[in-house]
Amino acid sequence: MANEYSIVVKNMTKKFKVYYDKPNTLKERLVFWARNKADYRVVLDDINLTIKKGETVALIGVNGSGKSTLLKLMTKIIYPNKGTVKTYGKLTSLLELGAGFHDDFTGRENIYFNASIFGLTRKEIDQKIDKIIAFSELEDFIDNPIRTYSSGMYMRLAFSVAINVDADILLIDEILAVGDQHFQDKCFDKLEELKKSGKTIVIVSHSSESIKRLCDRAIWIQNGKIEADGKTSSVLDEYLKVCG
Amino acid sequence: MLTNLYNYRELLKSNVKKEIRGKYKGSFLGVLWSFINPLLQVLVYAIVFPYIMRVKTPNYLQYLITGIIPWTFFTTVLTQGMITVRMNAGILKKVYFPREILPISVALSGLVNFFISCIIILIFCLFGGIGISWHILLLPLVAFIQFVFSLGLILALSAINIYIKDTEYIVQFIINMIFYATPILYPTSLFPENFRWILYLNPMAGIIDLYRNIFIYHEFSGFQTLAYVGGVSLLFFAVGLLIFRKLEKGFAEEL
Repeated sequence: MANEYSIVVKNMTKKFKVYYDKPNTLKERLVFWARNKADYRVVLDDINLTIKKGETVALIGVNGSGKSTLLKLMTKIIYPNKGTVKTYGKLTSLLELGAGFHDDFTGRENIYFNASIFGLTRKEIDQKIDKIIAFSELEDFIDNPIRTYSSGMYMRLAFSVAINVDADILLIDEILAVGDQHFQDKCFDKLEELKKSGKTIVIVSHSSESIKRLCDRAIWIQNGKIEADGKTSSVLDEYLKVCG
Repeated sequence: MLTNLYNYRELLKSNVKKEIRGKYKGSFLGVLWSFINPLLQVLVYAIVFPYIMRVKTPNYLQYLITGIIPWTFFTTVLTQGMITVRMNAGILKKVYFPREILPISVALSGLVNFFISCIIILIFCLFGGIGISWHILLLPLVAFIQFVFSLGLILALSAINIYIKDTEYIVQFIINMIFYATPILYPTSLFPENFRWILYLNPMAGIIDLYRNIFIYHEFSGFQTLAYVGGVSLLFFAVGLLIFRKLEKGFAEEL
């Protein structure tokens, strides 16, 4: 069972507290304790979901439907209120690029910082660094501080690190629009290569074009519930009929 | 937990480095400040207490320095550790990594700084005619106990501070108070014998005593103290870890 699946979500509910005016200090808590009855908004409601090893899955839905929250739950940045989210294998999330980047350090140093946050050891980074730099095509700038980078270069560096981590599960949130056309094509090729090598990939995206190209399966989330789950083309057609 | 930490050892390493170098980044003297600061403090007390307050303790300079340098270790870890989760909010919200790495790297960088500062203590002991004895071999053990104790504290405090932001100000005040309740500036012999145990409820009192036994008195008679501070430290660590574990799940939402 554990070998077959990458991600197993069981009866999972996630609520967020809704604050009207967040009382935070001790004084405010003591004085306004009665007022502090938090309202909860259910973002994901009793989700059941299994993703097999090697699947490439797209999460689709309108803004605020809970797609990104689901990804965050899979990464263990946040935790469910009810139920469980289990992942099997090394996991990398590309939720936001450039976590742990420091502007004053060089691109090379930042590769080390960033990759260590993904749980790589120095030796592993040493082995990969040439590959990462080559992928980013930033050879000429790699020893300059990244505050001198353009935003496109910054994203290219961040994406190159994340995609070269060698994880079993890759979670990607709306970041396929990195860099120019040339670099985007390169990212797609890399993702396809990863897909072929049996990695599990979960993508949140609004671009039906890229979803169709990459994913075999799509899951449509609507108001915190799974509205449809199946082959990309049919789910996408259904989705576009309602929300398009 | 340990295997998880082992997998993320590179992150731990670079974080410790950042803690040590980052604090005084941009200042002219850089890391040196972490040694100059306690020395200046010693200088002030060495003038104030013997001459103005007329405290008469043999080797008062060494007595002070063996108190203040461990105390600086304690307070830097505490003040930096309390806010470490809050300071790393940006990255906490973006990626998963074992959250306890943050307080652990603060405590570790404090430990490294302390060992370097011990060279200053040794210089003072050598030139003050006290010398060095084999008791110095016990130093890592006592330092480790202090490390465990302060790590337990900041595990709890850094997590609580996310939910109640007053924690850091309250604790800052308590630290200042405990400074005077710990026999750093004065010897415990100032107090009547039957009240002294109250002072020693504070583990830092015992820990500083142990350092002084090592550096100044070259004796080891404190098995009872060692057992007490060791036990209390483990207890604090266990409770601190428990609190951290309980609260860490909400970090990304509360920050």
